[in-house]
Amino acid sequence: MRIAVAVKQILDPEGITVNRRRERIFINREERIINPADKCALEAALRLKDAHGAEVIALSLGRPSADDALREALALGADQAVLISDKALAGIDAPTAAVVLARAIERLAPCDLVLVGQTAADTGGDQTAGRLAELLGLPQVLHAVTLSLDGERLKVVRLWDGRPIMVAVAPPALIAVSPLAPPARYPHGARILNAYRQMGVSVWTAGDLGFTAEELRPNIESRGQVFPPERELGNVIEGAPEQMAGEILALLRQRRLI
Amino acid sequence: MDFTLPKEYELLRRMIRDFARQEVAPLAKRIDIEEEVPREIIRKAAELGMMGVPFPQEYGGMGAGELGYCILMEEIGRVCTSTATVIGAHTGIGAMAIYLDGTPEQKKKYLTPLARGEKIAAFALTEANAGSDAAAIRTRAVRDGDDFILTGSKMFITNGPIADIVSVMAVTDPSLGPRGGITAFIVEMDWKGCSVGKVEDKMGIRGSGTSELVFDEVRVPKENILGQFGAGFVTFMKTLDVGRVSLGAACLGGAQAALERSIQWAKARSQFGKAIVHNQSIQWMIANMATEIEALRSLVYRTAWMVDTGQPFTRYAAMCKLYGSEVASRCISQAVQIYGALGYSRDLEIERMFRDARIAEIFEGTNEIQRIVIASDIMRQEGVRISP
Amino acid sequence: MDFSLNEDQRMFVKMFEDFCANEVAPLAQETDHKEKPPLKQLEAASEQGFLGAIFPEKYDGAELDMISYALLMEHLGKACASTALTINVHVALVGSAILRHGTEEQKEELLPAMSAGEVIGAFALSESGAGSDAAALRTSAVCQGDRYILRGSKTWVTNAGIGQLLLVFARTSDEPGGKGISAFLVDVDTPGVRVGYREKTMGLRGLVANTVYFDGTEVPADRLLGQEGQGFAIALEALDLSRVGLSAICLGAAEAALENGTRFAVEHEQFGGPIALKQAIQNFIADSRAEVEAMRHLVHYAAWLAEQGDSRLRTQAAITKLICSEYAMRIANRMLQVHGGYGYMKEYAIERIYRDLRAMEIAEGTSQILRFLIARDQFAPHGISLRP
Ligand SMILES: Cc1cc2nc3c(=O)[nH]c(=O)nc-3n(C[C@H](O)[C@H](O)[C@H](O)COP(=O)(O)OP(=O)(O)OC[C@H]3O[C@@H](n4cnc5c(N)ncnc54)[C@H](O)[C@@H]3O)c2cc1C
Ligand SMILES: Cc1cc2nc3c(=O)[nH]c(=O)nc-3n(C[C@H](O)[C@H](O)[C@H](O)COP(=O)(O)OP(=O)(O)OC[C@H]3O[C@@H](n4cnc5c(N)ncnc54)[C@H](O)[C@@H]3O)c2cc1C
Repeated sequence: MRIAVAVKQILDPEGITVNRRRERIFINREERIINPADKCALEAALRLKDAHGAEVIALSLGRPSADDALREALALGADQAVLISDKALAGIDAPTAAVVLARAIERLAPCDLVLVGQTAADTGGDQTAGRLAELLGLPQVLHAVTLSLDGERLKVVRLWDGRPIMVAVAPPALIAVSPLAPPARYPHGARILNAYRQMGVSVWTAGDLGFTAEELRPNIESRGQVFPPERELGNVIEGAPEQMAGEILALLRQRRLI
Repeated sequence: MDFTLPKEYELLRRMIRDFARQEVAPLAKRIDIEEEVPREIIRKAAELGMMGVPFPQEYGGMGAGELGYCILMEEIGRVCTSTATVIGAHTGIGAMAIYLDGTPEQKKKYLTPLARGEKIAAFALTEANAGSDAAAIRTRAVRDGDDFILTGSKMFITNGPIADIVSVMAVTDPSLGPRGGITAFIVEMDWKGCSVGKVEDKMGIRGSGTSELVFDEVRVPKENILGQFGAGFVTFMKTLDVGRVSLGAACLGGAQAALERSIQWAKARSQFGKAIVHNQSIQWMIANMATEIEALRSLVYRTAWMVDTGQPFTRYAAMCKLYGSEVASRCISQAVQIYGALGYSRDLEIERMFRDARIAEIFEGTNEIQRIVIASDIMRQEGVRISP
Repeated sequence: MDFSLNEDQRMFVKMFEDFCANEVAPLAQETDHKEKPPLKQLEAASEQGFLGAIFPEKYDGAELDMISYALLMEHLGKACASTALTINVHVALVGSAILRHGTEEQKEELLPAMSAGEVIGAFALSESGAGSDAAALRTSAVCQGDRYILRGSKTWVTNAGIGQLLLVFARTSDEPGGKGISAFLVDVDTPGVRVGYREKTMGLRGLVANTVYFDGTEVPADRLLGQEGQGFAIALEALDLSRVGLSAICLGAAEAALENGTRFAVEHEQFGGPIALKQAIQNFIADSRAEVEAMRHLVHYAAWLAEQGDSRLRTQAAITKLICSEYAMRIANRMLQVHGGYGYMKEYAIERIYRDLRAMEIAEGTSQILRFLIARDQFAPHGISLRP
């Protein structure tokens, strides 16, 4: 089995504070880490590898520093690592990123499984999984927490409204792993060193993947940042149903919402 | 000059820090109370290569050199000094002696299981009448055909109660004294005649067992001579030199933890209508701690670099241990002060850290001995020989 | 000026020495290791009249002058700091307050019982939110006819778990700071008083310091000590005296440390002779001896001021406690170092003394607060009035 895992490098959210009053974001500590959900996806892949044998390929689209994320993936147990990095790719939007990743995964073909994190802790877009599956023409399972191989089929426990349910899917498929899935193992110290000293990360450019500048032009234009309005604490209304309905009506009227 | 940590070491530090925080820190209080570092922690650490950080991968080690080992000791020292001591006596001195002076066969046979953490090492030098004056040891090894018969008892041996393999220093020729008359041996504790004597009841590092080791006519084959026959003293001194760097690193971790907790509490605790950090008395303590810690960090990591690049480092290793232990004690005492009565309570870890820290000024050569080492090294270059 | 002890004082010293050697010192290790309340020692002390040391004879007290009291605390501190502190709280914090501010009925009822050890006094000032800033205390006492209703909780109440009498400081009016505070004499067995958690401490493990809860405790109005609103002044005055006692305890403990260190240095040989021959050890001893003598003079001077009822005692007590607590800790630290590895072992008294003394820089006013008091006093004549 060949498993591609998409790994995004993000700024550690713990090093960031958001000042709502001044509508500013402060980066106190610039430490880059593997997006937590992606790390869970990698762990899911490694568990399949441990149980059934598999070739795990970690794939990252990002700036050159994403090399560190891929080295960490290698240290954790990935067999190969590919970094897609190019000046031409700087600042691409989510739809384009999915196109780039899709083409890279096609280049790695055949992959039996494509694993991605459900959500990126920085942008929180939750788009990559769906877009990638569509572009690759693969069935998709979202919010996965555990993966196991049952004969030809992959059994996936996924979260549905916070509750686990089991689904089965026949590879090739795309699975988006929840950040609530089992966390990654600790890498062995020697593997950490060897990931830097002995193992390699292949670097692919936009050109390698055959992209033209036109194709990479963003579809989305960023015009600045606004903070969502602060939410007030809600009130709990108690009492008999008619009474509660009355109170709600009164509240809504009071706020001129109806 | 470039002070950046190579990237692989950054990742290594992150892994070890996660491990220390998640696997060791939650148990630190229990380790102190139950007077034992759970085997489970050692097993987990071993699985990640942490029981053999400085040793080459060909002998089952991590291959991370003194730099990697200092990172380990700093991060573990930050959360639990007992655990750091168990690892330190095992890796930093017990197995280190075999790594430094062992033959390829000895390394294969002994260093490999030690580096993998399958076996635990100890380092047995001190005796009742030979502490600082290590050359005064009386444990005897008498030649008997191809073997040696080892008799004597060692005191205050870290990991004594759990060790499988011990590097032991013994007198092979009383007429020759330390230069020529003392030899190091590798001893397996399950050999006939080896036993664990009195286990000490200590102020701190209570999770790290310290005991007497008794050798009663133990038959040691000559293949187990460690280093040159008669040059045991050199082997042991060399080993202790290396051990001192990482001991400084463990102290650095302890001091850093004290500073971090002090900062937290100084922000959180209010008296006289304001957080106590708004008093200069508190600010000064924090500033002093932070300054000393930075100086110590530079000293420790520079010395680790000297070890890894094969430069002479004896003087600097002694400084790491001397300054490190004093900085740690000072910082932790200030943390106790900042916590007020709570710092004196066993409910908080500051209290344990205070008791734990005190040992570093004593073992692996007291701080007075470190000063002698430093002064001797300095004066030797001036053509003056100093005797202790 | 006359630095000699008078006839009585010399006789007392002899008596204290014998008493401590026979009744206190032999139990010190056990008291610490088993965290045993020093009940036996208290009983023996009561037989000698030490539990009413500074009370007049008509209350069955020993009517010691303050110098003699300091000598008593010094000797007790030398033998066992836990016992000494227990008695100092009872006599100097609680007893002295009653003696000075109690009505004749209160004195007649309580002081003889305290002298006899039937009643042990505890001083309930600190709260979780009010340590250094004791005036921020929130325990309330609401007057209802002929009684007060107490609500709130006190922390670190030494002797609460073994005593009968709590001297409780509570707020009787909303006036800010110290002004609204009054002192009450509360029997532990009063309904609504609950003695809670016993602190687990680093040292002073014989001390019984608890959290005490007052849940609508009814205290008859005749249990008010002094006037309403006078409580904080009473507390500060009592602290002046007890700081003298605590300083004497530090002096005693430091002397014990020095004696232990000296003996060890003489008896313990390394490098072919007693370690006393090494200059590093000599310096440790010399500095400690010098500091012990300085402490002694400070203690005697403060005790003398107390005996004269001199108002300079306020600042001098702060100075004395600051210096004595810090010197004593330093001395214990050096003497532990003199012991080498042995100093870290519970078998040796120095290990206990070191842990015991770490409390002294915190309890009864932290060093930082004492420095503040001293600086405030120094600047006051210059038109600067410092606030914490
Ligand atoms: C918890 C613990 C763990 C230990 N683990 C080990 C271990 O794993 N293996 C091992 O071999 N040993 C171990 N030791 C022993 C330790 O290394 C010795 O305690 C230390 O070397 C000091 O020796 P000592 O205790 O005999 O003190 P001493 O050497 O007797 O020293 C007493 C005092 O004299 C001073 N002194 C001695 N000589 C001089 C001099 N020439 N000039 C100035 N001052 C001097 C010392 O600094 C000290 O202050 C351990 C000790 C402890 C407490
Ligand atoms: C063994 C022991 C026995 C005790 N027994 C009793 C007892 O019998 N009865 C009783 O009432 N209490 C008792 N206490 C409590 C003791 O009095 C308090 O611990 C002490 O007053 C300090 O208060 P805190 O612990 O709340 O520290 P905090 O007041 O919280 O102080 C924390 C830190 O801030 C510093 N700080 C605070 N304010 C300032 C400032 N303005 N400027 C500079 N630094 C500042 C302090 O010095 C300290 O370093 C006991 C304490 C101990 C340890």
